[in-house]
Amino acid sequence: MNQKSTEISRRNFLKSGAVVAGSLVAIGAGVGIVKTVTGNDVRNKNFLRPPGAAKEKDFVYGCIKCGLCVQICPVHAIRLAGINKGLSYSTPYIDPRSQPCDFSCDSLQCVETCPTGVLDFRQFKHAGTEAIIAYEEERKAERQQQNDSIHGVGMHDGKGPHGADKGYNPFPIQIAAMKEAVRMGTAKLIPETCLAVQGKGFTGTPRDQDFKGVYRSPAPTTTEITEQEGGDRPRRHQQRGNASGEQIYEKQASPLRNKTFARDICNLCVTECPIGEKAIVMSAETMADGTLHYSPQVLDGCTGCGVCVMVCPTAEASIIVLPNN
Amino acid sequence: MIFKKSKDKEPLPAKPVGQLPHAQEGLSYNEWRNKRRYNHKWRNIRWAVVIGLSLLFMLSFMLDLSILEGSLSGSRLVGFYLIDPFNTLQLLSISSRTGFIALLTMNFWIGLMIIVGFYAIMGGRTYCSWICPYHFIAEWVDKLRGYMEKKYKIKNHTFNRSLRYVFWVGFILLAFATSSLVFEVINPVGIISRALIYGPGLILLWIVALVLFELLYSKRFWCSYVCPIGTTMAMVGKASPMVVQFDYEKCGYCGECQKVCEVPHVLWFTKRGKATQKIHTAGADCTRCGYCVDRCPGKALTYSFKGIDKLT
Repeated sequence: MNQKSTEISRRNFLKSGAVVAGSLVAIGAGVGIVKTVTGNDVRNKNFLRPPGAAKEKDFVYGCIKCGLCVQICPVHAIRLAGINKGLSYSTPYIDPRSQPCDFSCDSLQCVETCPTGVLDFRQFKHAGTEAIIAYEEERKAERQQQNDSIHGVGMHDGKGPHGADKGYNPFPIQIAAMKEAVRMGTAKLIPETCLAVQGKGFTGTPRDQDFKGVYRSPAPTTTEITEQEGGDRPRRHQQRGNASGEQIYEKQASPLRNKTFARDICNLCVTECPIGEKAIVMSAETMADGTLHYSPQVLDGCTGCGVCVMVCPTAEASIIVLPNN
Repeated sequence: MIFKKSKDKEPLPAKPVGQLPHAQEGLSYNEWRNKRRYNHKWRNIRWAVVIGLSLLFMLSFMLDLSILEGSLSGSRLVGFYLIDPFNTLQLLSISSRTGFIALLTMNFWIGLMIIVGFYAIMGGRTYCSWICPYHFIAEWVDKLRGYMEKKYKIKNHTFNRSLRYVFWVGFILLAFATSSLVFEVINPVGIISRALIYGPGLILLWIVALVLFELLYSKRFWCSYVCPIGTTMAMVGKASPMVVQFDYEKCGYCGECQKVCEVPHVLWFTKRGKATQKIHTAGADCTRCGYCVDRCPGKALTYSFKGIDKLT
């Protein structure tokens, strides 16, 4: 090798080395700056992780940004974060004020579809299995009772646990249990602006006319209130779909802007909750002067889905969801 | 393996002019050389595959076709997961510290196996030219660059190719140090793929910057010196039987393959007096793009699947 080419290769080597060192330092510094600007944790009331999310510090790297959860979500609640979210760029989030997760999906597909398990399905699988076991125990007991009344105590008809059990269908119960096991966040009331706390009612459409969120009535629960209990609870059954005279439970989804409600005391967050009374109830206290003081109360069953946040009619939602994971 | 050994052997003697293919066909050298100048068969097929795949990704989401869901960083083809190997390496490097590895699903491992298995057979960097949407853009940038080099006399700045191994290690270490998928944030493959599927975002400015840098400063900077996905794929496809094969007898030393190739060092044996055996195959860095196969006037370069002749 002559002197000239040695010189060239040395220069080339130095140049290349400088490029690598420079680039890696720049990227490292960039990451550092981004971390200080946006922080590691960008979650807030408008940035919830989808159901079953791992702890945020694991979520940031465990998510490979493929977007499968976004694609599979039937209610289009999950979105991918922009680069303004720093290192959480392109990770999935739910903004409950614009479109909450309302559990009208078949089986929490977003969690099932996640390849890295950063949305961890195991907890829901477990909850579903528990529910099936409980259901089978119940059916068994029922059948035993029936058997006893037909064949006499202690006799057995020789069929399996649900061999002749025509109504045996554990799947709705399993899926309901899975959904109830979700803990994306916890709803928190902001009593300063809440209409119910102020004793006000609400009539009309809760959100603007250009609001794009989709509304689905919650399925009727077994604890549907059919009678007004001494006037201390706002009535629940009357108002469902009263605008167009539809059935109590309307399966079809429609934009929230097409819905109107009429309540003497605003209780949209309570009545529209897909989980129902395990998650939120309206409490009424009798004050010293004999008037009733209403306040929605979030219970342990709250999944953090955020339907209450979407339907809240005040300008700034009077109920927010604080992320849990 | 064969590649390294063959390079160290004594080269075959350069063919005299009388034995070159143009002389044997009775054509003048220039006539022979221009024979397949406008042949773009493989390029067209390849572009159709790149565009078709991108469309399939887009339409699967838009029309809810459920054929090819997800994006290029992780997807599902009719139910089978496909996972990017370099993402996995970053993830595993962080997981080694945090224990997250236990959470990874069976689907993830199966998806990784499918991708590694597929590219180990079909040639690792096949991914670059047949799948990667950034490569497609870069090809057009190259064309524009070729035009600008002539017109405005832009200089091309080249670097040492082993830079990419340093970047490869560097990105894994950065991921480990910062506990986040640093590379995935700046990865043009993922960014473009997601922009096509989920809609554009501000991050596309990064792609613009990258394209401008490649256009004005260094040709194919990202693909040649940085992209650790390509490096990983080259490792995966190191012993791939799917290769571009060179036939010494048909070569006319025209050097056209070197001009059209993105990674000309893999075609070292096409230079006069360099070939050491009658049949050579291009090395792991070859993206199997097919430009040389299209261009070669003597059809000395062809796609070939090693060992397929032994099967029949």
